[in-house]
Amino acid sequence: MFTRDEAQKLAQKAMGFSTFPECQVTVSASEQAYTRFANNGITTASLATRQSVSITVTRDSRTGQYAANDLDDASLKEAVKKAEELAAIAPPNSERLAPLGAQQYPRTFDFDERTARARAPEMIPHVKTIIDIALKKKLIAAGLIERQHNVVAVANNTGLFGFHESADSQLTTTIRMADGSSSGWAGQPSTKIAELDSARLGNTASEKCARWKNPQKIDPGNFTVVLEPTAAADIVRLIASGFSGRNTEEGRTFLSKRGGGTLVGEKLFPEFVTLRSDPFDPRQPSSPWTGDLLPTRAITWVDKGVVKNLSYDRYWATKTGKEPTPGPGGFGGGGGRGGGAGGAGSLQMDGNDDSLETLIGSVERGLLITHFWYIRPVNTQTLQQTGLTRDGVFLIENGKITTPVMNFRFLESPVRLLKNAKKIGQAIRVRGLEGGMMIAPALVASDFPLPSISDAI
Amino acid sequence: MLNRRHFIAATAATFAGNLFAAPKDSTTPSPELEKLGSVALAEAKKYKATYCDIRIVRLRDQRIGLRLSPDRGTGKTLSVPNVGEDSSFGFGVRVIVNGAWGFASSPLVTKEEIARVTGEAVIIAKANASIQPKPIELAPVKAYRTRWETPHEKDPFVVPVTEKLDLLRNAAEEIKKNNKVFGSTASLNLRSEDKYFASSEGSSIQQLILQIYGNLDATAVDRQAGISRSRSYVPTQASAGWEYVPEMNLGENAQRIREEVVEHLSAPPVKPGKKDLILMPNHLMLTIHESVAHPTELDRALGYEANYAGTSYITPATIGKRIASEHCTFVGDRTSPRALGTVGYDDEGVKASEFTIIDKGIFRNFQTTREQAHLVGDKESHGCSQADSWATVPFQRMPNVYLKPGSPDTSLESMIAGIDDGVLIDGRGSYSIDQQRYNFQFGGDAFWEIKGGKKRGMISSVAYQGRTPDFWQACDATAGPSYWRQYGTTGDAKGEPTQINSISHGCSPTRFRQINVLVTD
Repeated sequence: MFTRDEAQKLAQKAMGFSTFPECQVTVSASEQAYTRFANNGITTASLATRQSVSITVTRDSRTGQYAANDLDDASLKEAVKKAEELAAIAPPNSERLAPLGAQQYPRTFDFDERTARARAPEMIPHVKTIIDIALKKKLIAAGLIERQHNVVAVANNTGLFGFHESADSQLTTTIRMADGSSSGWAGQPSTKIAELDSARLGNTASEKCARWKNPQKIDPGNFTVVLEPTAAADIVRLIASGFSGRNTEEGRTFLSKRGGGTLVGEKLFPEFVTLRSDPFDPRQPSSPWTGDLLPTRAITWVDKGVVKNLSYDRYWATKTGKEPTPGPGGFGGGGGRGGGAGGAGSLQMDGNDDSLETLIGSVERGLLITHFWYIRPVNTQTLQQTGLTRDGVFLIENGKITTPVMNFRFLESPVRLLKNAKKIGQAIRVRGLEGGMMIAPALVASDFPLPSISDAI
Repeated sequence: MLNRRHFIAATAATFAGNLFAAPKDSTTPSPELEKLGSVALAEAKKYKATYCDIRIVRLRDQRIGLRLSPDRGTGKTLSVPNVGEDSSFGFGVRVIVNGAWGFASSPLVTKEEIARVTGEAVIIAKANASIQPKPIELAPVKAYRTRWETPHEKDPFVVPVTEKLDLLRNAAEEIKKNNKVFGSTASLNLRSEDKYFASSEGSSIQQLILQIYGNLDATAVDRQAGISRSRSYVPTQASAGWEYVPEMNLGENAQRIREEVVEHLSAPPVKPGKKDLILMPNHLMLTIHESVAHPTELDRALGYEANYAGTSYITPATIGKRIASEHCTFVGDRTSPRALGTVGYDDEGVKASEFTIIDKGIFRNFQTTREQAHLVGDKESHGCSQADSWATVPFQRMPNVYLKPGSPDTSLESMIAGIDDGVLIDGRGSYSIDQQRYNFQFGGDAFWEIKGGKKRGMISSVAYQGRTPDFWQACDATAGPSYWRQYGTTGDAKGEPTQINSISHGCSPTRFRQINVLVTD
């Protein structure tokens, strides 16, 4: 890993090798440590370091990029030369803008040294705690504990420089019956590894496993659902792509108005739905700069149900006379290659003080859903998605959980889900099985389509 | 931990190039690679490791892309290129100490760093051994000292980028020729993997794997109706040299998707219900991937992927039982020409082979690695171990999985003629399946109605949903060998932290009876 000064010197050196009028360098390094377990034993564990320098050069709007992980002088020269060779033969980019000058980047992250340094001695006790809980109840535990330490620096030859260091961790576990008749899941991402609570997660997953045993088949259909925060985030975060200003103005998102224009300013959702991106929230790591290298900032997408903003990159903002914005975030797990750490997820939905039990108590007949799996877009314009419930679905009758029920496939969009939202609860940071991160509340929604049953346990 | 001195004093890029270079007719690995590999093996022995392997890997990815879209206000077509290349070089060491695995990796390929990182892997293994229920047991493997490379005539990386851009520009412009087409994109991705493997079993293997991926996309928008539709052409993604690219036939397919995206824009939605389906190879390949290849991975079946990818509806007790109709014979094969999963040897030094997974509907074999073979009573691994980088741990990944073609007498036309009410589905759409691979919902890229034994016009908003064992038992015909095609997929995710693989699947157009067809939003 490298310091701010070392990164700056490395970037300056690379830029010094370039003969092109525009040169931008990104230097990054990461170290990842993890322990994976299954069938009540450790299966794999790894310590991996990575590093990379990416050089982007431009002349007459012709751009070439080359990335390598060798950082000595000869290799940097070679990388710059390759980028320049690619730029020389690339066609001009009609949407190219002049590079930015020096920027003042905000501090977005409270870096935790202990998380960045954690190794097996800090991780294995968590694994042992969970396996011991499973063994005591004659259950089978699988899971992952992981931490990642990331450093990234950006620089260009017109004075821009930024440096960002972050660390993140996560612990997840799936606890199953030995005969495969039930499964429970619990997970916790945290920017501070000391806050991971393996006993709580092991108990939650094992209790859910015990409670979901021998789930019953009930007829598919549309249900009122109580989505735990992970389940709510699994779907809500997928609304982010719909806020693209360009795609919306080109008629390609759910916020495009028929015949032209956008739905900005219109109230689409209930009063309690507020969606924001807050890169300064200490609960989840965010980059200090946007994809265009502008300083990041907090922005509200939906305020009390009203669509407030669309996202604009520098090019489209210039074409339309708008201010460039950060993106919504919420897409993926960031630098952890799906493993969960680092990254760009600043999307959040506001919550309140209501507990999950209060939400369950408000439902006459419905389903409590732990989380979802294999969520894929069916229609990229309406944002209709399909996927499946997993690791615990329960029938709620008269405000109480009564019966474990089989998994279902769902067919729903985040847009329709939020339009049908009835109540929300406390918001916490969550990370979905497929890597998406956001801060989300538990959520009650009506008319949630669950058109078929899954036999999977 | 990589310290700052190491970080700044990294190896030279040219070192990696020279390390893997060798005369074309050389049959043994580079002596320099063998020297580096021996450092890990000797160091592991010093620490009393019972097994050690090292992979030294250099990855290169070149991407060339072009997007054509209208300028705001003027409507003039703007051209946005994307030209770049990434390379990555490093090594990973795996050891077994006290019966447990340890792994560590580094981007600094020097003898000193290999020795240090081997020590790190040993520390991790010793820590893991404290809660290891049973010692790791590896199936025997032969020792090889050899080289292997993807058969090719022309290295795609030496072809000028201008030639690649010309090819893509012609295709993207061809798509844009109809003014109802809003935007088009064309792209080529080239990948090379130089890989050296040495193990304490005595193997020393150097391989070069070359892959080429292409893609064309067309988008059409009807603003009055508020509808946006797309159509893609994904040519077979292949392990091959540049000589393969003309076979992609980008020009002719650009014309085809230009017409089809416009037709798709006004195509009526499907009427849902039980229908017969004809699934074309570039669609069915992903259905095979999700519903046959993944559930026959032994690590899933035994619970090793329970926390993420899931388990499987197939278990060791399923061996010898019917899970598909008699028309369905599937093989795993890492030897077939131009397939993305084809190698000489897997990441444990097991020689690539073909094996039967499902024989005329009866489940026969799981995919295995060396540590898994004994768990189902096998004497040797099926060679399915793979890591996606020098920095990641090798584990069980699927081989190329193929559905064998039907009788030469069975044609696409004869299968269509046997359908009264059905849908023909082409290309990739949305794919979703549960964690035991029972309940799936798959969409496509383009759909045609079949009525009264004839293929009619395009329809839209189609998905089909089913239960895997029922679906494959509903297969009543697959076309003959002349219709058989192989396609690839490049984004297969598995494991924690997730690893991404590329793999091929092949089949002929295949018919399924009375499948639940849905209309999507």
